[in-house]
Amino acid sequence: MGGLSSYAWRTLAARPLRALLTVAGIALGVAILFAALTTNAGIEATIVRTVGDLLGRADLRVEGFTERGLSSASLVAIGETAGVDVASPIFERKTYLAPDPLAPPAPALQRPVTVLGIDPATYPELHDLHVVTGVGLSDAGSVGALVTERMAREAGLILGSRIALQGTGEPGVEPIIGIVSGDGPLATTDGRTVLVGLTEARAVFGLDGLSRVDIGLGSGATPGAVAAELEQRLTTEPYILSTPEDLAATIRASTVDFKATTALIAALALFGGAFLIFNTLSMTIVERAREVGLLRAAGATRRQVNGLVLVQGLLIGLTGTALGLILGTGLAAVVAWYLDAAGIVAIEEPVIGPASVAFALAVGTLVTLAAAIEPADRAGRISPIDALRPVGVDRTIRARLRWLVAVFLVVAIAGVVLWPASAGGAGIVRWLAVYGILLAATLLTPLLLGPLGTIATVPFRLVAPGSAALIRGALVRDRSRTTLTVSALTVGLAMIVALGGVAYDARRSATSWIAGVVPGDVIATSIRPVGIDEPVQDDLLAAPGVVRVSPMATFEIAFRGIRLDAAAVSGADLLADGRMTIIDGERTAALKALETGGSAIVPAALARILGLRVGDDMVFPAGGGREVNLRVVGVAERTIPGRTGETILVGWPDATDGFGVTGADAFAVRFRPGATAAQREGIVTVARGDGLEASPVERIEGAIDDALSRVFGLFDVLALIAVIIAGLGIVNALSMNVYERVREIGVLRAIGMTRSQVWRMVVVEAGVLGIVGAILGCVTGLLAGQAMIGLGGGAGLSLPFEPDWRTILAVAVFGIVVAMLAAIWPARLAARLSIVRAVQYE
Amino acid sequence: MPAILEARDLTKSYRLGKTIVDALRGVSLTVDAGEFVAVMGPSGSGKSTLLQVLGGLDRPSTGEVVLDGEPVSTMSDDAATLLRRRKTGFVFQSFNLIPVLDVAENVGLPFTIAGDDPRKGSTADRVRDVIALVDLTGKEDHHPDQLSAGEQQRVAIARALVTGPALLLADEPTGNLDFTTGIDILEALHRSCVERGQTIVLVTHDAKAAAYADRVFFVKDGQLRDEIQLGRRTDHSAAPLIARLAQLGL
Repeated sequence: MGGLSSYAWRTLAARPLRALLTVAGIALGVAILFAALTTNAGIEATIVRTVGDLLGRADLRVEGFTERGLSSASLVAIGETAGVDVASPIFERKTYLAPDPLAPPAPALQRPVTVLGIDPATYPELHDLHVVTGVGLSDAGSVGALVTERMAREAGLILGSRIALQGTGEPGVEPIIGIVSGDGPLATTDGRTVLVGLTEARAVFGLDGLSRVDIGLGSGATPGAVAAELEQRLTTEPYILSTPEDLAATIRASTVDFKATTALIAALALFGGAFLIFNTLSMTIVERAREVGLLRAAGATRRQVNGLVLVQGLLIGLTGTALGLILGTGLAAVVAWYLDAAGIVAIEEPVIGPASVAFALAVGTLVTLAAAIEPADRAGRISPIDALRPVGVDRTIRARLRWLVAVFLVVAIAGVVLWPASAGGAGIVRWLAVYGILLAATLLTPLLLGPLGTIATVPFRLVAPGSAALIRGALVRDRSRTTLTVSALTVGLAMIVALGGVAYDARRSATSWIAGVVPGDVIATSIRPVGIDEPVQDDLLAAPGVVRVSPMATFEIAFRGIRLDAAAVSGADLLADGRMTIIDGERTAALKALETGGSAIVPAALARILGLRVGDDMVFPAGGGREVNLRVVGVAERTIPGRTGETILVGWPDATDGFGVTGADAFAVRFRPGATAAQREGIVTVARGDGLEASPVERIEGAIDDALSRVFGLFDVLALIAVIIAGLGIVNALSMNVYERVREIGVLRAIGMTRSQVWRMVVVEAGVLGIVGAILGCVTGLLAGQAMIGLGGGAGLSLPFEPDWRTILAVAVFGIVVAMLAAIWPARLAARLSIVRAVQYE
Repeated sequence: MPAILEARDLTKSYRLGKTIVDALRGVSLTVDAGEFVAVMGPSGSGKSTLLQVLGGLDRPSTGEVVLDGEPVSTMSDDAATLLRRRKTGFVFQSFNLIPVLDVAENVGLPFTIAGDDPRKGSTADRVRDVIALVDLTGKEDHHPDQLSAGEQQRVAIARALVTGPALLLADEPTGNLDFTTGIDILEALHRSCVERGQTIVLVTHDAKAAAYADRVFFVKDGQLRDEIQLGRRTDHSAAPLIARLAQLGL
């Protein structure tokens, strides 16, 4: 290359603003990619740390499955399993601290605490427990409690202070005998952990089961072999056996959608950046066609010309990528802060590793090269004769859209590499479908430009009747460039529409779900099971304006070796309240059957997956070698939400007698029609008196709405960056239009077009581009959104599809405004052209 | 005939790197309504600059241009633009048609710019008339790339004439055309002058083209060196003009 490299540089420097816009475009694309990479690495590091906090040095964990937890027999069986060195039993429950008449009231004491019952003989072997003041627990039956430094500080507790743990029956009062360092052994309780002896903890809550047993393996034992042995031994009650990897996978699964969405947005942003590089290089070629012809005439080989354009591409791409790494570092810090602050995904800080840097560099360079190959090839095809041709752009040097597929492929490969491994096949099919829809829209754009251009000029035709042809003509002047420009905008807008659609659908599903299945206006929740014999239900029912109080409890059950959510409900209350739509079976009979026992109502989504129908029998292991047999008496359209999906509904008799449910964790409170606002407010005080947190259903819906807004708000911001990149593309494309039409604009000015008319013409052209992009973006976004929802699987609700017209309208207006704003600079450029120079321009 | 265009002591200087170039140095002339005037001169003599200043495309450094009684050289850019729109038509050497518009749309462009619809009413009639004047009837729907060079220039002339301007300015309109096509264009310009009383200022370095004019100004080094009266002739022989130029040693 030699001297030609210098020519490549100077050619770019001749149009500094265009080069800067392009660098900015690729920088933004790489920034999103790098932010996604480092954020994902940060999430991964946090997961590893969380698993470490949860499991300590344990190699395996056996968790109790039902309300009863693991029996002592299971603990013995675990301890006797070959390869098990340490088996540490743990009991864990959330509760409130009961007011202690001897202790001063402190607000910090009124918040929930987690009680951790441990065996001091085995627990320290697997978990770090540093007692900084006082003494530790001596044995499982010892009296006294340990609190964390943080809790002691916040609640003003010292050695000898007394805390009363609210359980079943009389609160268990414990003196504080020691304070453990920092936030204590549980990372997720914000330091609100109270450690007591195992026997004492179980006594407080009136339970004899264990929440879990952490296992340390002896030397030479492998988790796989011990797990296989445990499966042979633990046969009398359901349990979950996890390794640290399993636990990490479970946590990771909750971050999959976030990672996948950021990967898709990063891919699309990069795609937008590639558009910019392609357009910039194409413009340079068109502008310099005669110069390139001269170079060829002077003896430059086709390969040298190819190299020249590739060098230009690389200069832009590498500069943009380097800048993108810096921007991405900042963006990642902001995203991590937002994720953590909004409680979307747990992340301590983004992790910038050499792999992330190398990957972003490689993708930035590859995308640049992919975008530069086609223009380079075109430049190489310019013949020496072109140097002798009069003014005008030869059609042979116009862009070919085959290139798009190449760039899409490179970006798709980057997306697949970035794809979270734990997401599974279904997820990637969903995102590939979305990606395919966007590619199809891009490839169809040149065919749609004409008709859409005609539609888009209609509003302007009303204002300036004759100029529509001029404006529409500008749109189809270089169809490939217009396609690229419109496509970048289309893709960005489509993502916002699609994400908006998914958010809208999620909101609709969530709100209609709750309103359709909960037999109350207010839900009063408890962090501890409230025994059915406790007077809480009566207290609530006695509150003014209340007509019905329905206890509910969610718990876990095992069916065909699968963990499922279940809920104990009152069939009579649901019947009286008119909730719960039964789509298979007779509603009244089904709900009454719950009251008599031996019956279950299955949600439609689950019935579909498990192949269950009315009349089928279900057998559940219930601990102690017992089984619970339930008959499916109805299939409900939707049921009460559980931890991970919809619940199987059972009556209270089966829940307590069969599954060992000890009490309700929520009460649905229904007011009589005409209940006053004061009465509705009053229930909060009544509930608080019983240690319950009362929330109106609307507030729960609002909380869901807020949570969804926080998640989708972040995605929208990232997608907006893709639209900004598209905006930069429009600036580039319109500038190119202006440069190509200098003489034309000169003539228009000569025959009487004022500067402001020229300005308006360019802005209106951009408006037409914006309208075409908005139409395509909204239609494509609707399809992509449907693909996201339709292929979502899981517990998706079968609500009929309903477009979110408000978002669509807002996005359409936004796209048009972005396009017109992007036109301001090129319009100014056009309006300020000297007529004399313009008509002489070559 | 009253004067439609007056130029008084025009100068035009511009900077070329570190050098100041005097493109016009005290040019004064008058063009009467209905007159066909040619401005001749060698390359770099300032003839195109003179045309641009006379047509209000550029401002003189000093001096004044009065077009149909209005001082175009001292007007604001917008006012000068509106005056151009109403009273002038331009024909350029490179045709400068809008490639995405068809013949009728290109011809009707001045109406479009003025906010009128050139496909309706009297404006449509005028578009049709000038297309007929330049012998392009039947090609209204053709795009520029479907026309020959001569046809493209005839479209440009039709566009310049469509508003019935007080003054038509043509800058080397035959420069990119072969001899026969060039003659066709000059005939069309002459016809508009004779049949419609169109005032024309033609800039050319070609004596054969200038011979179509009633009067020829010869410009050299930014100054008006001579004015040659040819009169309205049916015969456009360049011989008298060439003889006179030779006589003057130009």
